[in-house]
Amino acid sequence: MGEFKVHRVRFFDYMPSAIRALAFQPQREKIAVARTSGSVEIFNCADRFFQEKIIPGREQAATEALAWVGDRLFSAGLNGVISEYDLENQKVKYTIDAFGGPMWTIASNQQGTHLAVGCEDGTVKLFEVCEGKIQFEKNLAKQKGRILSLSWHPSGSRIVAGMMDMIRVFNTETGQSVHRLLVERGIGASRSVECVVWGVVYLSDGTIISGDSSGKVKIWDDLTGTLIKSHQVTKWDVLALSVSQDETSVVAGTSEGTVVQFQFLSVVLGQEDKEWVQTRIFKNHTHDVRAVLELGTAVVSGGMDTQFVVRPLLDKIEERGPECVLRKIQFPHRSLVSCAKKAGLLLFQYPGHLELWRLGESDGHGASGSVLPVKRKPEKLLHLKIKGEEHICCSAVSPCGEWIAYSTVASFRLYRLHCDNNNVSITKVSKLPKVLSSANQICFSSDSSKLFAASTCSSVHVVSLSQTVHKFVCTLKPKSGETLLTTAVHLLAASEDGKWLASANSDREVQIYNLTKMKLHSTVPVYNSGVTAMAIHPTTNNLFMVHADQQVFEYSIEEKKYTDWSRQVQRNGLHYLWLARDTPVTNVTFNPKNPTHIILHDAYMFCIIDQTLPLPDSSSQFYNQLTLRSLPEKDRTKHSHAFKMCKTFKELMFVELMEDQSLVAVERPLVEIAAQLPAPVRQKKFAT
Amino acid sequence: MAKLQRGESECELEKGVRVSVVMSDSSEDEGPEEVAFEESRSAALKSEEEKLQAAKREKELLKEKRRKRQQFFQEQKKKRLLSDTLLEEFDTVPQKQKKLSDDRDEEKDKKQQKLTKSKKKKASRSLQGNCSVMRLKDESADSSMQQSAMDFIQARLYGSGTLRTTNAELLSLEKKRGVKKGAAVQFVNKKWGAEQKAKAEKSNKRFIHRQKLVTT
Repeated sequence: MGEFKVHRVRFFDYMPSAIRALAFQPQREKIAVARTSGSVEIFNCADRFFQEKIIPGREQAATEALAWVGDRLFSAGLNGVISEYDLENQKVKYTIDAFGGPMWTIASNQQGTHLAVGCEDGTVKLFEVCEGKIQFEKNLAKQKGRILSLSWHPSGSRIVAGMMDMIRVFNTETGQSVHRLLVERGIGASRSVECVVWGVVYLSDGTIISGDSSGKVKIWDDLTGTLIKSHQVTKWDVLALSVSQDETSVVAGTSEGTVVQFQFLSVVLGQEDKEWVQTRIFKNHTHDVRAVLELGTAVVSGGMDTQFVVRPLLDKIEERGPECVLRKIQFPHRSLVSCAKKAGLLLFQYPGHLELWRLGESDGHGASGSVLPVKRKPEKLLHLKIKGEEHICCSAVSPCGEWIAYSTVASFRLYRLHCDNNNVSITKVSKLPKVLSSANQICFSSDSSKLFAASTCSSVHVVSLSQTVHKFVCTLKPKSGETLLTTAVHLLAASEDGKWLASANSDREVQIYNLTKMKLHSTVPVYNSGVTAMAIHPTTNNLFMVHADQQVFEYSIEEKKYTDWSRQVQRNGLHYLWLARDTPVTNVTFNPKNPTHIILHDAYMFCIIDQTLPLPDSSSQFYNQLTLRSLPEKDRTKHSHAFKMCKTFKELMFVELMEDQSLVAVERPLVEIAAQLPAPVRQKKFAT
Repeated sequence: MAKLQRGESECELEKGVRVSVVMSDSSEDEGPEEVAFEESRSAALKSEEEKLQAAKREKELLKEKRRKRQQFFQEQKKKRLLSDTLLEEFDTVPQKQKKLSDDRDEEKDKKQQKLTKSKKKKASRSLQGNCSVMRLKDESADSSMQQSAMDFIQARLYGSGTLRTTNAELLSLEKKRGVKKGAAVQFVNKKWGAEQKAKAEKSNKRFIHRQKLVTT
């Protein structure tokens, strides 16, 4: 198989931001996640919770709540504006100032006609959702105190608003407050502090469920305006509430990281009278849980520890499959590191800046698993801060290490890097073709002569790079004529000989362009799972794709069909342990010296697939590297199979093979991320 | 009985003054003592006078209070208005303008109004001691409201009264109770304990210096 020197890189200080809000769209089974950095991510529940789209945030963003209206996504924040997102092009479509001060919550009614926003000045503002925009309709009666949470009654005639120390029920027609429900404060020291109602839920039979800062979940009746039952769930705050579609289960997220479930059950078996009973507690977070969702078959939660956790409710799932797995999504499903193979440089993409590092060198030789002495330490060559408030959408460095390009939602920048031994200088390329205003994905050709920038409507702009003038060559459009594709491209792969370019968009379409003729060559047959990583083989020009459901395909570009090896893999079926992995493959690369090897990695393993060896069947041992090492040389070939897995490196963000046959493994230990999180609650545990 | 026989002079007596009949407990069988009319009359008159004087004093006190309040309010009002010097300046300016308008024609009124405005502006500009002019666009009130909203959430979740601990504590406890027991993170990972070590070193130096343990 081969010996590799591995550069274990741990100086990428990737810090994710906390999850602030979650919103579920039942029609297409998508979950929108809003983070404190202002970025919004869309996860697809049906496709192994693959992170399909990322809309980058901005500085000083303070998104507080999200709401779906049909296929449209709206958010409200502390800057007082409501934003609608353009999910096709992955940016903000427009913003509207609500003139109510900071907004704490946004909610849409079940009919999809109106949006209600809760503001700091105590007003609930109703907006009518029109075609292409939203229009202010009216204010409900202004209250003395901020509105922190809202929930519509399913009929749309009433709204319940959680405020400080009270809950108010409004009639949406008249705008007047119908009931005032007083929430009592906590006991002891918390009696002097106001009780904040962080979450409310309005059920169709008139029951109101509220969660407040004294740690109680209270159940109210809206006909009489009285409290039915109060449950003390935790000593700290109850920060989020969510109800399932069929209104039989409510989950509450707390400050101590637990998610508590309440179900509408009859207390005595067989009797008809039901009530809300606390059933289960899930402890999957270490820090505050600020958003929860009850999907019916799973409970999704996110909070200050930046993890997106999906906890399946096994009593609601009928058949065993990939939905039965507890998922904790920590790392993004895209690569934030790009590598200049020939120059030995790594480019790290942070939200507000870029860092370019040169890898260190080591001379020594050692046995497998040993640590080699470092002759020259890795050094940081460049720290490039972006101007403006937007965060970086995508970035790339050319294989020769001379060009760096990055794009935000509003701008595109290209830099020329001159790197002598000790002097690093960078010059900005000023006159770029006007068509390059922003890009969703950037890729350089392997000889660094062309730049590919994916932009709106799945089209790719090709720009030729030279010393002096950068000419816009052409735009590669996916279809000439009839149906235009609208979604943005999230993956680009260029071939080694410079003849082919492959692009994958979030609608699961993969297009292959012929770069000599500059037009569309073929389209890969659509597979019902999104592409997480792809690359074009340097010699055979086969496009290798890995999907979110861990399926692997190889498509021959010149012959316009799947290769024989790929068909054999599909006939054989992949090993169940390969399919049971819960993190997606984010990078595929090849070994020029060994054309039958394919190197790919996900967050907890990296693997070399050898196409000459036989495929493993379900009875053979999958992780067999250690056993093979213990066998003598002759017996190894009998027992080895195509998938060679290595689990030495954990929390991998990037694995690549450099030109000098050394591997680079960029790791980000979770302990380092946990070190920079905000403070958790102090819990006294027995025997500590 | 004796009271009823007497005339109007008794009314004064009856208003509030009772002739106190000194009755000694021991001599209930004896008849009442004879009190001279003059004595009781003088006592009654005295008490009347005292009452009147007390009422007067009260009135005086109330008057004083009212007067002080009135003064206080006047001072307050004065503070709110501009000072006298400024008012004089204002007075002189319109007077000048009056003279000017007397001299000139009415057609030039507009110009004069402009002049007055500009003069008033000049006068007002010279008053700008503590005031400054800012455009509403440049510094919106939104940022301050946003800041106060963020402070509110920060205070509710992480402020005083919330029981919070550090991430080092959390991870150390996990290690202590985990399957594979380990030491606290401050000792395992050098970066964690760096702050505390630095603090400890500083306090050691201070102690040594104070106690003058190291002779220089």
